[in-house]
Amino acid sequence: MAGISRRSLLKGMGTGLGALAAAGPLLNANKAFAAREKELNILCWEGYNSAQVLDPFRSKTGATVKAESLTNDPTMINRLRAGEINTWDLINVNNPWARKVMLPEKLIKPLPKAEFEPFFANMLPQFKAPYKWAMSEDGKDLIGMVQRFGPYSFVVNTDKISRKTAEDTGWDLFNDPALAGKYGILESDDWNVFNIFIVAGIDPFKVHTPEEMTKFEETAKRVFKGAKLIGDIASMNQALISGEIDLHLTGGTYSVSPARADGHPNLRAITPLKGPLAGGKGGISWIEVTSTVNNPNLSPLAVEFLKYVQAPDVAHTVAFAEGTFNPVAQMGNKACFDLFTKDELDAIQWDSLEEEMARSVEYDIVPDYDKALDLMNAAKRMRG
Amino acid sequence: MADIALAPAAESPAQLRLARRLSAGARCAIPVALLLGIGFLAPLMAIFGYAFATPRSFDVFRSFTLENFATLFDPANTVWVSFVWSCGLALTTVAILAVVAYPIAYGLNVVFGRWSPFISVLFVFPLFVSENVRLYGWVLFYIKNGVLDGTLKWLGLSGGPEVLFTPGITLFGMVYTYLPFMLFPMTLGLALVPRDLIDAARDLGAGRLFIWREIELPLAMPGILIGMLLTFVLAIGATAEAKILGGQSIIVISHDIEIAFTYSQNWPLGSAMAVVVTFFIGGLTLFALSKLDLDRMLGRR
Repeated sequence: MAGISRRSLLKGMGTGLGALAAAGPLLNANKAFAAREKELNILCWEGYNSAQVLDPFRSKTGATVKAESLTNDPTMINRLRAGEINTWDLINVNNPWARKVMLPEKLIKPLPKAEFEPFFANMLPQFKAPYKWAMSEDGKDLIGMVQRFGPYSFVVNTDKISRKTAEDTGWDLFNDPALAGKYGILESDDWNVFNIFIVAGIDPFKVHTPEEMTKFEETAKRVFKGAKLIGDIASMNQALISGEIDLHLTGGTYSVSPARADGHPNLRAITPLKGPLAGGKGGISWIEVTSTVNNPNLSPLAVEFLKYVQAPDVAHTVAFAEGTFNPVAQMGNKACFDLFTKDELDAIQWDSLEEEMARSVEYDIVPDYDKALDLMNAAKRMRG
Repeated sequence: MADIALAPAAESPAQLRLARRLSAGARCAIPVALLLGIGFLAPLMAIFGYAFATPRSFDVFRSFTLENFATLFDPANTVWVSFVWSCGLALTTVAILAVVAYPIAYGLNVVFGRWSPFISVLFVFPLFVSENVRLYGWVLFYIKNGVLDGTLKWLGLSGGPEVLFTPGITLFGMVYTYLPFMLFPMTLGLALVPRDLIDAARDLGAGRLFIWREIELPLAMPGILIGMLLTFVLAIGATAEAKILGGQSIIVISHDIEIAFTYSQNWPLGSAMAVVVTFFIGGLTLFALSKLDLDRMLGRR
């Protein structure tokens, strides 16, 4: 240690830092040009961020793939609005956002139509090209690829409330004073806004009158007051299994499928036979659309990944990625459908999927969502 | 290691000028200051900037409005309910922990002897497991047909009490989570009390209560107060207990802030709430510290 003094050490560190500072811009420049070839960043709902989906793609391409999962669409979109457009390559959100919000705001860019349109031919019939939510409003551009979807209304324990009673009674179950304290509410506030409107007998996807807003507020206060708990998917399934609750507001195959796959087929996602939605429909469904971000330095792997998840085996993996299990549009391809076992089909309620989707309107944007959400948050606070 | 002291570094005129402006200590502190500036102050400044931005926008530092604060202090806004719950739960947690942790801290100093390190580790050990995992563990314990209810039914009894998803269980979760943060400063505080003083007081005829009130408690007070402050500051920002154990039977202020940043996408309002809470806690802490004379408590004056 005789040759090393504090002074020489500090001088050495100083020289090192200086060299690093001088080389920094060069290093960054290299990174900007080279690393995007082997780098992919995905902003998505849970599932696409799982190792089962990403690891084979990493091995195949040798790329560094990062995926961040969030649990609501507005947060993901605002990440792009807040300046992260340069960070992400793919964004995976529910159906209306790409077409109605992200494309007009230039947050995403169209896909090469000729390369991707043929994939729609192998999807389930309702997704055949030109599929509305995958196209721009003018119908010219293909703006995303579809994969996971499902009905999403509420979930019951059929040992306590039969499927028939739940489907016939529909949303009025949450207006029944006898069920106060026996239901939970999934912490998914955008969907809860939709569903409180529906429980109040109002179509959520329109501009609401002051009277309708008053009714929404009253319903929100009553429904939240009567809830035994508000929590995440795991909490809802646990409370249903243990018998703490008999049903929960906001839920569907996406939320209940893990419990069904885990040996609880008595828990079932319900789509009511009728409701106040357009055409008298009783439920709402969602369809995920994955789009390429309008990143000025978009990774070429973004389109490769979108093609990769169309393959039958990868689509099946996406359907049963960790967290939640869902039907996928690619099940229209026999090679993909045959990969699903009987238990897997039962977990995603394949037996009633078509009729439930037919009874549902597609997820849309509530024009006065901010106001309704403020009223709902205030109602939540008054629970205690 | 003869060359241990920093030698005068100035050699060129430029270096001489710099040396005149900054002492060696200040220069050495530059990396730390930069790190703190980027990692600690910058996010705080961003939050502060957002608090004055147009509601539901991202116009940070480009717009200035007091609208977010006006919304918060509007009498029609029910956000005060969350604030009162957070303060109430935090104060109650501190009060319960002061009573619960004191005997344990006393035991660790005086009673447990060679077992003290082992018992300390037992209290530290849960901190190695994620808080959420521990709280979900308690849910499994208390849930219907769970560990407690199932065991009692198996024994032929009527089952466990229905305590989950209530404000009471939220308080239980907070007391459980923050116990080590009260216990260890308190243990250190009690370790500061010289045994000689207690022995001398006893020799002079002082009773146990008198010794506790006049010697032990005042001398241990710095540790007790630091424990109380630490626990209060952590507890007022607690969210997981009210969410996981309490089933959101009440909404705490940190959860309200989270909702503003996520589902509401109203970053400016969330920032304004964060600023108000930060100033409240900061003000309260400074007020408490200004009223408490640690030197006097330590008997140094």
